[in-house]
Amino acid sequence: MTAELHLVHRAAFAPLLDGAAVVPTHGTEVLNGVAAHGLAAHREAFGDRPSFAGDRGAALVDGIDRVTLTGRGGGHFPTAAKWRSILAAGPAQTVVANGAEGEPGCAKDAVLLQTRPHLVLDGLVAAMEVVGAVDGVVWIHAGADATARSVASAIAERARAGAGDPPIRVVVAPARYLSGEATGIIRTLEGGPTLPRFVHDPAHPWSEGRRPVLVQNVETLARVGQVALGGAESYRATSLLTVVSGTHRVVVEADPSMTFGDVVAHAWTSPDGLEPQAVLLGGYGGSWVAWQRLASMSIDPGALRSQGLSIGAGLVGPLPSSACGIEESARLTRYLADQSARQCGPCVFGLAGVAELASDLTAGTLGRSGRKRLDRFMDEIAGRGACRHPDGALRMLASALDVFSHDVHRHRRGRSCAAPTHSVLPLPLETS
Amino acid sequence: MSRTAPAREARAVPSSAGSPRLRLDPSVCDGVGICAHLAPDLITVDSWGYPIVSIEPLERRAFERQARAAVAACPRKALFLDS
Repeated sequence: MTAELHLVHRAAFAPLLDGAAVVPTHGTEVLNGVAAHGLAAHREAFGDRPSFAGDRGAALVDGIDRVTLTGRGGGHFPTAAKWRSILAAGPAQTVVANGAEGEPGCAKDAVLLQTRPHLVLDGLVAAMEVVGAVDGVVWIHAGADATARSVASAIAERARAGAGDPPIRVVVAPARYLSGEATGIIRTLEGGPTLPRFVHDPAHPWSEGRRPVLVQNVETLARVGQVALGGAESYRATSLLTVVSGTHRVVVEADPSMTFGDVVAHAWTSPDGLEPQAVLLGGYGGSWVAWQRLASMSIDPGALRSQGLSIGAGLVGPLPSSACGIEESARLTRYLADQSARQCGPCVFGLAGVAELASDLTAGTLGRSGRKRLDRFMDEIAGRGACRHPDGALRMLASALDVFSHDVHRHRRGRSCAAPTHSVLPLPLETS
Repeated sequence: MSRTAPAREARAVPSSAGSPRLRLDPSVCDGVGICAHLAPDLITVDSWGYPIVSIEPLERRAFERQARAAVAACPRKALFLDS
């Protein structure tokens, strides 16, 4: 009887968030919208965490496979396949909860770590049990002080409550765009610098002779926590999106039945009362999508993929009708070029060259030969970095040249497009 | 979209399955450029002098001769044959 009641209780879907969380564009502290869960509130909302040590781990891997969980840091690699490949390589050393949210427009990971730290930690502990890891790491961006405090106090609260967690430590990464890149995290844990590295086999990003390291984004682990605590049956494949709106970022949990039109209407305040002309989707290495195309699309990663789009790290960056997409994209390209790890020629020289030409385009000085050079540079650089940083920047810029072709034309004729709204998407203060 | 295609160096060279592939670690390459002279059918250089490993299939003997010469000559040990 109690078991049945328990099942009924679990069958009710517990969303990750129970509202929209507001975070300033500069700073990572959650201002309002979602109440933070202490351990008691967390257990009330999501339930107790069973152990997944030993043979029980396979059931959790099957569960995350059934709900087709993918990596929410942006890559959307299937989580179950990643875990199975770790399991095949032998007992793991470390599981990393990656919360170094390098995307300046995104705040979902900060919101999760500040309001749902125990769900992330339950997912981390479950992952550690499944892959046999002895070291748990929560990887956070320098300067994310509210996030670091929240995680530290959640770890302490669990220890006081006798949760019996394996050792979990907080590691603070440099505040750079690429600090959350997985090969750079593993390189740091092996004693090296926090810089991406070339790996012979993407399925084995740790060094030869070492035990496997599993890196998962904190939202992915929160979702592992949902499956671990509530079961795969009651799981709903929602998406956490960060909508950039003026001086704030609004983090919302969107159901696949919702459209981008619904989310933007709910979370975005238009500066001119008009609909946006386009949205930068996924991240600064994502794609611009014209609003008339995106507005009616469902927030369903599978449906987006069939359109050649990705929800990436969940950025929804609406561009007001009064802003210039070319100016905005040139500014972001320069930022991404500046954030290069400065290791690979195609990124150090090529991406910088592309950024320079994108500025020329904005200034109206590109000319026909400059445009040819821009196209040649973009073709030459594609697919050639040790990490995918230049590819992301090129994807964003290529989508801008396509979606804002009208503005390209105006800029090319040497006219200013005289857009009254500037600098819509945030950059970290020290580089903007 | 071609601009986001898989990494060039990761694509098959030469075409037959099970053959070694010529691969490049771009993070240690300094763009010295000896490789492009020793393996002209496998490597071209970009606008900044950095190597682009070709995706065109090459006859096996010519592939191995050029690839081994380039791998052996690279002063940064950035090139290697991967099976």
